Amino acid sequence: MRRAKWTPYLLLVPSLFYLALFFLYPMTQAFGLAFSRETQTLSLRAEPVESAATTGALELQTEVVVLDRQQLDETLPNGGTRPSFWYLIQGTDLAGETVEGWASQRSIFIENRRTSETARVTGGEATREWTFEHVNRMLTDFRFSSAISTTLLLMVLIIPAQFVLAIIMALVLQSQVRGSSMFLYIYAIPLGISDLVAGILWFAIFTQRGFLNSLMVSAGLIDLPFIFIRAENISWMISIIVLAEIWRATSIVMIIVVSGLQAIPKDYLEAGEVFGASMWQRLRHIILPLLKPSLQVALILRTILAFQVFAVVIAITGGDILTVLSNETFRWYDPARFNNPSVAAVYAGFIMIVSLAISLFYMRAVRSQDEATKSAT
Amino acid sequence: MAEIVIENAVKKFGKFTAIDNVSLTVHEHEFLVLLGPSGCGKTTLLRAIAGLGMLDSGRIIIGGKDVTYLAPRERGISMVFQNYAIFPHMKVFDNIAFGLKMQKAPKAQIQERVENAAKLLHIETMLDRFPSQMSGGQRQRIAVARAIAVESGIVLMDEPLSNLDALLRLEMRAELKTLLKRLGVTTIYVTHDQIEAMSMGDRIAVMRNGKVLQLDQPTKVYDLPVDQFVGGFIGTPPMNFLHGHVHQNGAGYVVRLGDFSLTPPQDVHPALAQQRDKPVIIGIRAECMEPMKTASPDAVPVTIDVVEPLGAQNLLTARIGQDTIKVSTHPDFTVSAGETIWLRFPENKVRYMDADTGRALAAETEKALA
Amino acid sequence: MSAETFSNAPVSVAQAQAWDAQRRRARIQLRLRRAGVYVVAVALAVWILLPIWLIANMAFSTPQDVRAFPKSFFPNPISLESISFFLNAQGIIPSTGNSIFVAIVTVVLSTILAVPAGYAIARYVFRGRDAIRLVMLSVRAFPIVVLAVPLAVIFLQLGIFDQPFTLALMHTALTLPTTILVISSVFASVPFEFEEAAQVFGCTPLQAFFQVVLPLALPGIAASAILTFVLSWNEVFAAILLTLSNRTLPAHILYNLDKSSDPFKFASAFVMLVPSLIFIFFIRRYLFNMWGQINK
Repeated sequence: MRRAKWTPYLLLVPSLFYLALFFLYPMTQAFGLAFSRETQTLSLRAEPVESAATTGALELQTEVVVLDRQQLDETLPNGGTRPSFWYLIQGTDLAGETVEGWASQRSIFIENRRTSETARVTGGEATREWTFEHVNRMLTDFRFSSAISTTLLLMVLIIPAQFVLAIIMALVLQSQVRGSSMFLYIYAIPLGISDLVAGILWFAIFTQRGFLNSLMVSAGLIDLPFIFIRAENISWMISIIVLAEIWRATSIVMIIVVSGLQAIPKDYLEAGEVFGASMWQRLRHIILPLLKPSLQVALILRTILAFQVFAVVIAITGGDILTVLSNETFRWYDPARFNNPSVAAVYAGFIMIVSLAISLFYMRAVRSQDEATKSAT
Repeated sequence: MAEIVIENAVKKFGKFTAIDNVSLTVHEHEFLVLLGPSGCGKTTLLRAIAGLGMLDSGRIIIGGKDVTYLAPRERGISMVFQNYAIFPHMKVFDNIAFGLKMQKAPKAQIQERVENAAKLLHIETMLDRFPSQMSGGQRQRIAVARAIAVESGIVLMDEPLSNLDALLRLEMRAELKTLLKRLGVTTIYVTHDQIEAMSMGDRIAVMRNGKVLQLDQPTKVYDLPVDQFVGGFIGTPPMNFLHGHVHQNGAGYVVRLGDFSLTPPQDVHPALAQQRDKPVIIGIRAECMEPMKTASPDAVPVTIDVVEPLGAQNLLTARIGQDTIKVSTHPDFTVSAGETIWLRFPENKVRYMDADTGRALAAETEKALA
Repeated sequence: MSAETFSNAPVSVAQAQAWDAQRRRARIQLRLRRAGVYVVAVALAVWILLPIWLIANMAFSTPQDVRAFPKSFFPNPISLESISFFLNAQGIIPSTGNSIFVAIVTVVLSTILAVPAGYAIARYVFRGRDAIRLVMLSVRAFPIVVLAVPLAVIFLQLGIFDQPFTLALMHTALTLPTTILVISSVFASVPFEFEEAAQVFGCTPLQAFFQVVLPLALPGIAASAILTFVLSWNEVFAAILLTLSNRTLPAHILYNLDKSSDPFKFASAFVMLVPSLIFIFFIRRYLFNMWGQINK
């Protein structure tokens, strides 16, 4: 280990700067997107000069009546002059009131500078307005509650099964069966598989003309293929997503559990054996308590990832009958569909807050449990 | 009945034979030390007795019951591990109670036995604490308390003191010995530290290459090593080995060391007879020689190379022919390097060994004892 | 006295037979238990491998066989027709190119950024070191969904939307925390004494790094690069948000999934799967380096 004043910071600066740029900056942008609306309005002036007091504001595209016009000479930077028009216009503002005032030719569209009686507002200053409009749109969207409940349901079904399976895998690997390094590789394969691919794989099994139906029809169990994936069979669709996610994402839990197991000194298990603990007792009284830190990390990781389940849902169900939070984020963002990044940003923020809250809850729960045991007697 | 009998135990790891046909009996209430250099099979043997690794052949009988194929928990033993194996997620109380809890002992009994064990090891005030806050010595005490709390009558110890610092080791050594004697526990104690073995064991089994070379009381092992290895392994400094030659001298035999002749006691003569005119190894311990500053016909002259004043003794390193010899003398025996002194070899302290096999040329009386 | 002295007298035949029987029973029990574990191990392996086999089977069947019902569990005949149909479909080659481009840029950028950062965390004691580690640990699980939306809007405003390069910037941000942690654990596993020795024998710190530390750390860094490649190759949410006409392969496939035929889907899954299979095989030794040190 070295001690030096500046070197480590110097080495870290590029990464930290990059992360700040790509994490913090977008976060502030997301906040802005979610809670504000940008509108452009044209401020009308009492006199035909930029600096004059405003008499009102008109929204973009408002049709106005031209009451008066004035030609001025505008001074250019090079000292020369050119003619510039100002118009006294009248129109209805957002609140429905009739306002009138002067606007420069740059801010309005007018067919004929000298003769036209009407014009349209085309320019103005951007103003940012804080609003809960996007939040409301998310909350009142009929898909919102079903997206939440599906996401949570998937989480509740997937995570416990993953942990049981991962612990079994880890114990099998730990028992040094012949070829355990090969088994480790096989169990780790899904680490490199995307949720899109996993979705297509399990779609191939459960689709109407898929492998499961092929097997059942060939075996004579059923005459006609059973349609698992259709609107009436929501529970089947959920089950297939659950299977696909257990299949795909157990590996990461397995790796964490295995390395946790490897960190447990063999002595502990042997002491357990010598002092009369059966295999089950050793698992319950020695292995699981010592694995707790690893399991906690895996749990937080898996929970956060569970809120991002996306492509697997689309690949299996198409994403319309059954929807999840990330899918809704995309639906609102997608220029081909709702094209509303603001509501998408609200969804994104919602996902972040919920996953953060659950992680904090886990950590708090585990810590208070530790403290309770440490101070109990 | 807590007698342990091991019969013809063999354990192999691939081609390596860790335990090579070992048979021994540990009597009830006995403190037996398995002593040997690392890799000699002592820990493997202890683990086989514990059931943490099955023998390839042979039997282990504990208390009259054949346990060779039983799981550790079915053997009625307890154990102290080298790294203590104190569970970090359990309080001291629960650690000590672990064995009893696994047996589903009644609560009151657990409470009583844990408290007793803790009191015996002077850790009764720490029962509510977690082991992470404890020193090595305290963990050691917890490990021992856990082992005696189950009252199995048999405690296996795998180098339990090796992770303590020297002073603590000295203290624990004495304490463990009295404690285990008082409880009347049958103990098998694995160590590579010969001083620990000498000081604690009722008997010592010296092991090498998977075999038990010698099994005897500490003083016997020290004074009458069965071979050159045992003599060299036990004792600080180790036994001196000098190269001599057997000569017939009338009806008896003498061993010549250069110009000097040693007269072995009568009962070794039959063994020496077979080595007639052959080289022989003369083994003698450093403190068994009588050093003199003046010549004497029954003493051999040696030249001193190094003098190490160690306080309680002066350790001299001297040359005798081709051999180097260590001599331990009284601190008042002041000499310096380069001087010549004379050494007298008391006849009953000299051990003769076969120069080829290193095995002691045992007296008839010894053979009869074995 | 010798070892043999301790052996008992030769045992009787009956006794020896009794021992043998006992030993045999114990061995059988042990073998049964091992066999039980083995059965579980194989069952789990089948659970992982079966879907992969089925999709490979589909990818190497003719499109007619893919549409057939009931389906065969072995390709018969083996045919490259489905795969070539997929590869020749519109947009596949360019989007594969985009995917590879994005992944490579991501690997290069994140490795260049992470090597000095990982080295600093592994080798130096400085104020804020633990805080930085903690930030890396928590940021690596940061939801992609949360970042993708605002970044897409920012890129749109900056006029660099729909370019694979910007997606690579995003992927770099996503993988950088993991890469830094992995690389720092790789550096930590190279003993500092080597570096000190190199300096004692006349290297500058920089020379010591390039001549001693880097060569030793290279396999680990390569493994981390492969992991980064796979993460980028697989990522679909940011990809589908940040690109429109220059989609990456998974984004392109996902966006057109409802319009795709089964042979196309299954072949696409197989094609996307293969690089991951190969890469995970190469970095299997480093898996624990990557995820194992999480709890520390």
